Amino acid sequence: MRSRVVTIVLGVAVAFSVLLLGTRAAIFHLPGNQQGYEPAQPIAYSHRLHAGELQIQCLYCHFGAARSRYAGIPPASVCMNCHRFVTSSLGAVRAEDELAAKEKRPPRPVVSPELQKLYNALGLDAAMRPDPQRSPQPIAWTRIHRLPDFVYFDHRAHVGAGVACQQCHGPVESMERVRQVADLSMGWCVNCHREANRTGIAGRRVNAPVDCSVCHF
Amino acid sequence: MEKRYWRSLAERENPAEFARAAEEEFPQNPLEQIEVSGGWDRRGFLKAAGFGFAASALAGCSRAPVEKALPYLNQPEYRVAGRATYYASTCGACPAGCGLLAKVIDGRPIKLEGNPEQAISRGATCAAGQASLLGLYDGLRLKQPLAAGRASTWAEVDAAILASLEKIRRSGGAVRYLSETITSPTKLAWVERFLGQFRDARHVVYDPLSASAILDAHEKTHGARLLPHYLFAKADVIASFEADFLGTWISPVEFARDYASRRAPSGRSWHAQFEGRLSLTGTKADRRVRVEPAEIPARLRQLAERIAAGDGRGDEVAERLLAARGRSLVVCGANDLEAQLWTNEINARLGNYGATLDLERPSRQRQGNDRELGKLLEELKAGQVAALFVDGVNPAAELPAGAEVGRAGLVVSFAGSLDESAERAHFVCPDHHYLETWADAEPVAGLVSLTQPAIRPLGATRAVIESLAAWCGKPGKAYDLLKESWQSRIFPRQKKETSFQVFWDRSVEAGLAEVEAAPAAHRPAGEVFRKEQPEAAQPETAGYALVLYPSVAMLDGRHAYNPWLHELPDPVTKVTWDNCASISPATAAALGVKDGDIVRVEAGTAIELPAVVQPGQHDRVIAVALGYGRKASERFAKLGPQWIDSRPSVNEQGRVGVSAAGLLGWEGGLLRYTRGAAKITRTGRRTELAITQTYGTLSVPKQLAPADGEVRPIVQETTPEELAKPAEPEEKHEELWPEDHPYTGHRWGMAVDLNACTGCSACVTACQAENNIPVVGKDEVRRHREMHWIRIDRYYSGPPEEVAVAHQPMMCQQCDHAPCETVCPVLATVHSSEGLNQQVYNRCVGTRYCENNCPYKTRRFNWFNYPREDRLANLALNPNVTVRSRGVMEKCTFCVQRIQEAKIEAKRVGEPVRDGEIRTACEQACPAGAIVFGDLNDANSRVARLARDARQYRVLEEINTGPAVHYLKIVRNREGGDQKNG
Repeated sequence: MRSRVVTIVLGVAVAFSVLLLGTRAAIFHLPGNQQGYEPAQPIAYSHRLHAGELQIQCLYCHFGAARSRYAGIPPASVCMNCHRFVTSSLGAVRAEDELAAKEKRPPRPVVSPELQKLYNALGLDAAMRPDPQRSPQPIAWTRIHRLPDFVYFDHRAHVGAGVACQQCHGPVESMERVRQVADLSMGWCVNCHREANRTGIAGRRVNAPVDCSVCHF
Repeated sequence: MEKRYWRSLAERENPAEFARAAEEEFPQNPLEQIEVSGGWDRRGFLKAAGFGFAASALAGCSRAPVEKALPYLNQPEYRVAGRATYYASTCGACPAGCGLLAKVIDGRPIKLEGNPEQAISRGATCAAGQASLLGLYDGLRLKQPLAAGRASTWAEVDAAILASLEKIRRSGGAVRYLSETITSPTKLAWVERFLGQFRDARHVVYDPLSASAILDAHEKTHGARLLPHYLFAKADVIASFEADFLGTWISPVEFARDYASRRAPSGRSWHAQFEGRLSLTGTKADRRVRVEPAEIPARLRQLAERIAAGDGRGDEVAERLLAARGRSLVVCGANDLEAQLWTNEINARLGNYGATLDLERPSRQRQGNDRELGKLLEELKAGQVAALFVDGVNPAAELPAGAEVGRAGLVVSFAGSLDESAERAHFVCPDHHYLETWADAEPVAGLVSLTQPAIRPLGATRAVIESLAAWCGKPGKAYDLLKESWQSRIFPRQKKETSFQVFWDRSVEAGLAEVEAAPAAHRPAGEVFRKEQPEAAQPETAGYALVLYPSVAMLDGRHAYNPWLHELPDPVTKVTWDNCASISPATAAALGVKDGDIVRVEAGTAIELPAVVQPGQHDRVIAVALGYGRKASERFAKLGPQWIDSRPSVNEQGRVGVSAAGLLGWEGGLLRYTRGAAKITRTGRRTELAITQTYGTLSVPKQLAPADGEVRPIVQETTPEELAKPAEPEEKHEELWPEDHPYTGHRWGMAVDLNACTGCSACVTACQAENNIPVVGKDEVRRHREMHWIRIDRYYSGPPEEVAVAHQPMMCQQCDHAPCETVCPVLATVHSSEGLNQQVYNRCVGTRYCENNCPYKTRRFNWFNYPREDRLANLALNPNVTVRSRGVMEKCTFCVQRIQEAKIEAKRVGEPVRDGEIRTACEQACPAGAIVFGDLNDANSRVARLARDARQYRVLEEINTGPAVHYLKIVRNREGGDQKNG
């Protein structure tokens, strides 16, 4: 009697899981693995343009990476260092200039719809002054690179040791929309640490510990 | 003969039975608890269900939920996500005024540390101070003012109060401002200004733990109502009468640090304690004399006479005091004028004023005047008070006739939550928590400590000075009021800075300002104060003496809302979640009372509470802790895991402990904490106490005990004479393990000085705050499941009447050959290259083999998902430490998060980690400086030097676990545990 109950329970469980796994085989990952995750962001910010074409340093915006555990998403005020003046792409401005010359009128200011979202978030009016009618709203970016809560990764140590950002984040400077390239699994971390201990980083010897308590506490 | 240590009377009487119980894995047999139902046994069901659950879970999850990240729009320049900022502030957990550094991560204070620059704390804190962080995130706090018990707005409340005050001003009714000791110069000025508007107005100050008699005695002997600043660091000989200065008396952090600085074997002070109950201070005394409280004045008189005679007349204490004129200190904790007058006389005769007692720059930590309080209570009773303001005290719960506060025409309370007194108030104008407000404090004349906010107010609360200013018609923000006050009051008292702005900025940064204090006006102690002193009345011989004392955790009860402090075992009785009537073993035997028997204690009124048998207590003394049975403790009814077998943490009255305030006495205009002619009777009922010291025995298992019988005591003691002898070279143990794991970098280690440790338990609470340690509740403590990573083991030795006590902080010993590591089947506990014994929560499957194999009993198992449902209280969690879930083993990590932070930060700035840079939470909090953490591989580090000290030993070294924690032996100035009842 008992063994029959066990058989039924096991059989149902196997059937259930085969059914579920089968339908999802195409997107199957181990739990927690977000490799290839490439969500749409509230503002279509292009790393290809900023980091690739314009060659802005990663640490200019993600300044936390050199000082803190978190690289951080830059506050909107950092964007405004440039975008107080740059309100649209050069092409759009030129097109407006040409159009204005053709229509014999002074060119109108051009604001790209994506940057308008930034100004809206800061609650600015057309003259870049705080608009009392609008309340500032922080921008809710969708987080891509995420480690579980029991992992304490520290950007400081890696940036300080000379690890290139691309080593973990992939060729971000060529990505229009950021995608998670590495699987960010523990094995992947540990392999890199072992490798770094053997070969060093950029010709320098490093001490990349592989103790559990380096990341888990 | 080898000295024998015991931790409870049961162990002393029946060591064999106790040893057998220690061998058992479970307090009860788990199999007996499971009822087998149906044809399914537990294993069979789990086997079948386990696979099914795992498979469906695997199939069910593929993507984590989408998570949003919201950066600042404009980031404050000093704030970087994930980096801690420290704000210098002042602790508001009691009037002692210790300096704090509030550690703020991502905008919320998560840990309090002592401010090393500030003279009261010098970097340390007490248990209550550590736990006061939780008060900030307390759900019981009021979020807006109340009018007639209903939520209101500040505008409405102000208008109503101003209208009432206007009527009183016209009619000339009496206005009384009742507060605890206020050391803040700014607040005092505002109270004065506010009361100045009325014809009949008085500021009445009282302390729930009153030192009124000390102030009164100095008024008589020195012509000024002052509290001397006691300088224990300068005292070679200390005689204390009922003053628990290491635990709860006036300024315990400062006193403990000063005292510990003089307890090292060289230049060691000598300390005699006269007391009825066994206090924390009594456990450290070189000589402890049990006296009934009523005998104290007579004892002091006798001592004064012997001192006056100049030769001590064969009394050891008097002789030692006389030999240390000007370097000795006599303190008395009794709130009894006669006793205090004799204390003053002794100190004056010994020339201690100006040396170990400072009256020029007196302490302001206790200003209460019991006579004034008595008068106010009379007035209230007669209905003569038109308006009463209650600030920082809770008379309805703290005083025998405190409920009278409700009888004034207008009662305004500033309480942050609806306590017993605020309930009786017409208006409640909640004050900020001290971590939300601008304020100042002058605990000792000349030392002005600043309080600055570490977070924005969580509710619509308002600082008391803002309320007072509003009612004076000068509304302002606390910051501006404080700054103005400093410009006019504090700035002129210093000469270093010429610009106020510079002075202010420096003071805010440092958290304090050292300024001049005009020498307090007093006349020098004259000759003999009282030549004609009638012989003291013979103490009453009928009945018992009742001693009401503040416990180290609860103090006067202001922390009754705080679960950390309720779960903190009392340093001496080791009882949690209760206050008890302690009685001596002889008295207990005579009455037939055992631990947990509910007794009725009667002195005027009666209370019923469990008894606990306390070795070392006077046979005719019953001691009961104050501060329990508060309304705030009703919240703990549902604390801890709720399961079929759980019992609540509160008693039948729905509260934690029983209030003993009704037993306080009035005598000669003073609040008396001791009563004569008390009665104690058995009720026949019993309750099971949650005592932590009767299990988790450290011992060498029989099969491991060396054949030659070398078993070393867990606590080791030495004497100054023994230390003077040259040390014998330590025998090297035979090594069973291959030495193939050298520590090439750091080897973290710790040294714990048992001689310095006072058992104050600040480390336990500090660890709880730092490492997100859950509160489990009374019932789980009863099941031996408390979660503290560091505990303080308390050992007795000697006869039960005259015990010698040893406190031993015990945490994971981070063994070289850790017994836990070899038994873990899933490698969840492994060794690091820096000597740490790592616990990997995610690998742990909860076999608890490691816990069973740990000879130090320092591992803790999460039997439940301990509730983390209070979202507000969760803000106190340290984001740098994982919150563990059910089924996982945990233990002390040597604060590895702090090690990592320091190592990475050192790498970032390109410097090696310096000794002393990494301080574990326990080390940081310790007022006695008993805990030192560091790198044993660095020969010059403090910990490496202590590991070579002549007093060094390691616990259970003989079983070759190679612990990384080095203990330093206790130095006893007396023979064994013997004390004469002198």
